[in-house]
Amino acid sequence: MSFKSAVITFPGSNCDRDALCYLKDLTKGEVHNIWHEETSLPKVDLVILPGGFSFGDYLRSGAMASKSKIINEVVKHANDNRYLLGICNGFQILTEIGLLEGALIRNKKLKFLGKNCFIKKKFQNNFNLSIKDNQVLQIPVAHNEGNFYCDTETLNLLKNNEQIAFEYCKGEFSNNEENINGSIEAIAGITNKKKNVLGMMPHPERAYSDFHQSQDGRLIIESLIS
Amino acid sequence: MNEELILQHGLTLDEFQVIRKYLNRDLSIEELGIFSAMWNEHCCYKTSKKWLKKLPTDNEIVIQGPGENAGVIDLQDNDGIAFKIESHNHPSYIEPFNGSATGVGGILRDIFTMGARPIATLDSIRFGLIETEKTKYLLNGVVHGIGHYGNCIGIPNIGGECEFESTYDFNNLVNAMAVGHVQKDKIFYSKPKSIGGLIVYIGSKTGKDGIHGASMASDVFSEEDEDEKRPSVQVGDPFMEKLLMEGCLELMSSGLIESMQDMGAAGITSSSVEMASKGNVGVYINLDKIPLRQPLSAYEILLSESQERMLAVIDKKNNRKVREILQKWQIDYEVIGEITETKRVVFESNNKKVVDLPVEIIVDDAPEYDREFYIPRKRKNKDFDFSKIKLEDMIINLLTNLNYLDKSWVFDQYDSTVMGDTIREPGQSSGIVKIHGTQKVIGASTDCNPLYIRINPYEGMKYTVAESYRNLIACNINPLAITNNLNFASPLDPNIMGELVLSINGLKTAAVKFNTPIVSGNVSLYNQTNEIPIKPTPVIGMVGSNMDLNKINTNKFCEIGNKILILGKQLTKNCSPYLLQDQKIAFNICEFNDLEVLDLDFEKKIANCVLELSDLKCIMSCNDISRGGIFSALLKMQYKDMGFRVKVPDPIDLFCEYSAGYVIEIRSKDFEEVTSFLTKKGAEYLEIGQIIKEGIEINSKKFDYFDIMNKYRNDFEKIIS
Repeated sequence: MSFKSAVITFPGSNCDRDALCYLKDLTKGEVHNIWHEETSLPKVDLVILPGGFSFGDYLRSGAMASKSKIINEVVKHANDNRYLLGICNGFQILTEIGLLEGALIRNKKLKFLGKNCFIKKKFQNNFNLSIKDNQVLQIPVAHNEGNFYCDTETLNLLKNNEQIAFEYCKGEFSNNEENINGSIEAIAGITNKKKNVLGMMPHPERAYSDFHQSQDGRLIIESLIS
Repeated sequence: MNEELILQHGLTLDEFQVIRKYLNRDLSIEELGIFSAMWNEHCCYKTSKKWLKKLPTDNEIVIQGPGENAGVIDLQDNDGIAFKIESHNHPSYIEPFNGSATGVGGILRDIFTMGARPIATLDSIRFGLIETEKTKYLLNGVVHGIGHYGNCIGIPNIGGECEFESTYDFNNLVNAMAVGHVQKDKIFYSKPKSIGGLIVYIGSKTGKDGIHGASMASDVFSEEDEDEKRPSVQVGDPFMEKLLMEGCLELMSSGLIESMQDMGAAGITSSSVEMASKGNVGVYINLDKIPLRQPLSAYEILLSESQERMLAVIDKKNNRKVREILQKWQIDYEVIGEITETKRVVFESNNKKVVDLPVEIIVDDAPEYDREFYIPRKRKNKDFDFSKIKLEDMIINLLTNLNYLDKSWVFDQYDSTVMGDTIREPGQSSGIVKIHGTQKVIGASTDCNPLYIRINPYEGMKYTVAESYRNLIACNINPLAITNNLNFASPLDPNIMGELVLSINGLKTAAVKFNTPIVSGNVSLYNQTNEIPIKPTPVIGMVGSNMDLNKINTNKFCEIGNKILILGKQLTKNCSPYLLQDQKIAFNICEFNDLEVLDLDFEKKIANCVLELSDLKCIMSCNDISRGGIFSALLKMQYKDMGFRVKVPDPIDLFCEYSAGYVIEIRSKDFEEVTSFLTKKGAEYLEIGQIIKEGIEINSKKFDYFDIMNKYRNDFEKIIS
């Protein structure tokens, strides 16, 4: 059975094409591109909210996009127990919708951060099944507001429910940091309670092809398909 | 018209008399504004035109040379590459964040106006000494601005240069370059096709920002000017630009547009006049139709440099379809006029013609000057005393100089991997991106050697072009074409004018030899504040390609145990300008010896060796040798905690500059093949050592690898904060 997926495009999305290529190349199935003003969503296995600066991010990052027409359908899709992945701005949108806990505030150094980062999985879910424990993945980040924050109560919930999917870690060599943006407990990605919705700051769609510096981003789609 | 008003508009009284005589009547204030905008250096190149004409601008791969919004070269099949570099120096000094952001915005519009989708940006930024708070403020603002605009619109920044030197203290330079991919059969030009075509306005509303921006950019500054000039800096909105880009590209790919021109410097005046001039037609525009952000006079509308605006010509029958597409992208759209056969530029406001001028007088009769210039006198040769120099001190001198330190602090603020096609990111000898959906790659590098050019403008410019060339060659990228950004101080000083003339000649010589024509460019003069002129800084942006992405070289060490070879010819210690300057041996420009003549045939010979060896897969990694010599090249190559052990006759050799200089890493098993190949080609080489784990060893002397690397990687941020 072929794997079907869709990518939502908001005005200001700039990783929508990258996400479409990522899905086309790795799932080999049908991939739809959906404009934010649409009011219906095809029945697909996975929806990606891509990175970018939706609506210029002039309010809070992701705040405007979370009120788009298509979002009702996205929420239905998630409530239907199908997969929803928010990458970077997509993660920010998911927290604004309320599908994910916490918020993404400005990076610790108050500067945009565009570089390779290293992550490993914390708790297992269907998005990271194919990743071994303690396996270090190299995936680029590119964000200004990627510093994950939540209160202690929420943090405990996230831990108790095993909702932390990825955490930043140190790479193998001397020149990298452990927690690049100051996220609480170095959190790089979290899921909802049912673990069918994942938000992550690193961009797996920029690390999957043989010409990319790393192909570790494949593992997420491979996990979902397996 | 009173003299003061004329002078305020940046025109000389002689220039005004030419206009007055031609028209045989008085000018309206709006018309004076038009001449002010069109007859300044920024728009009509009145000082540089005579010399720019001498540059080679064509060969078999040039589709579009200078004169359009960007140059375009042929990359086989239906692929074309559009690229250009442009300066935003003055605005970035007055308001670093918005000045640099709109610099990026402007150059991106130049690219997508041609129907090309931007696929990469680069930049070349120069600041004064970091010891002043002002420089820190400028550096932070400029980097933030470049990053903000490019990150938001989603075009990867793949490289550039960032240097610090005292003559830029009050006149920092911000040159932004953009590269785009266009289908050769879908290139758009600014020339309108038919009489009666509708002139339409697309994009942001017009406001007061940037009024007189172009004439400001052609003016000498004094420090007190800063606050007064601030309202002339444009404010950028990258979100609007993203919508504008997507909207325009959709219009163009749907075949709904005849021609397009971006409203950059001198706004609607310049774009409409150029349109009329290119098409040898007239334009009629009703200023009352222009979407406004605030109430503006006709004069202000004509000269506003509000960002994110486009002027296009469409066939009447497409009006509705164009409107629909732009509505989807939430972009303002208005029919504002039409193409006429009058060959006149007519602007109407409140049912009154406020401007009615023949295109000819504005464009063809624009002034062109043959300014006086001096040729620098020959330098005497002298020997410097190197006897007291210690290796340890030389290393410390480099590691305490911002120009040598790793600039990740800058690059990490740029998104360099968006679009998913980036192959080499900033910090390598050239940035490389893949042409989406193909195996082809484009490499690009921006460079300038102001110190060399001050010493000898002609030879120095050859070295600058050669440096870009080497940056591409080191990655196994075939150099194809050049865009240039000539940043100079006031050409009214014959010494400065001499630097301009001679460096253009040097550019010509090198471009002809390398078969890399100049297809686009920009000139920025009067870069001086408080009578301190900047060093001559003609920046080169060179673009090249490789049809097979699997053949690209890395600049980073590959494997412990591999051998390190040096190609090229070392400049003598006495004629290595950066060695002398940065090792604190020569302080004053008059102390330097003349440059050694750069043998461009030798450059080509060695470059061909590197390309051939790369294709044979014999080169594991390669880096060019520039400022800081072999030592600096090796530092840049460190990767995954790999270092180097080298032996040379004299440690100072490691810090000398080179002609045709490359460091190459080869496997021991390929040593015979590589060296016999080089010998056969008559290319000398020097085997200097090998790659080792976590170590730096020079002539048996061991250095603390992690200490040096820690300084190299992290001290930039410490010094600038």
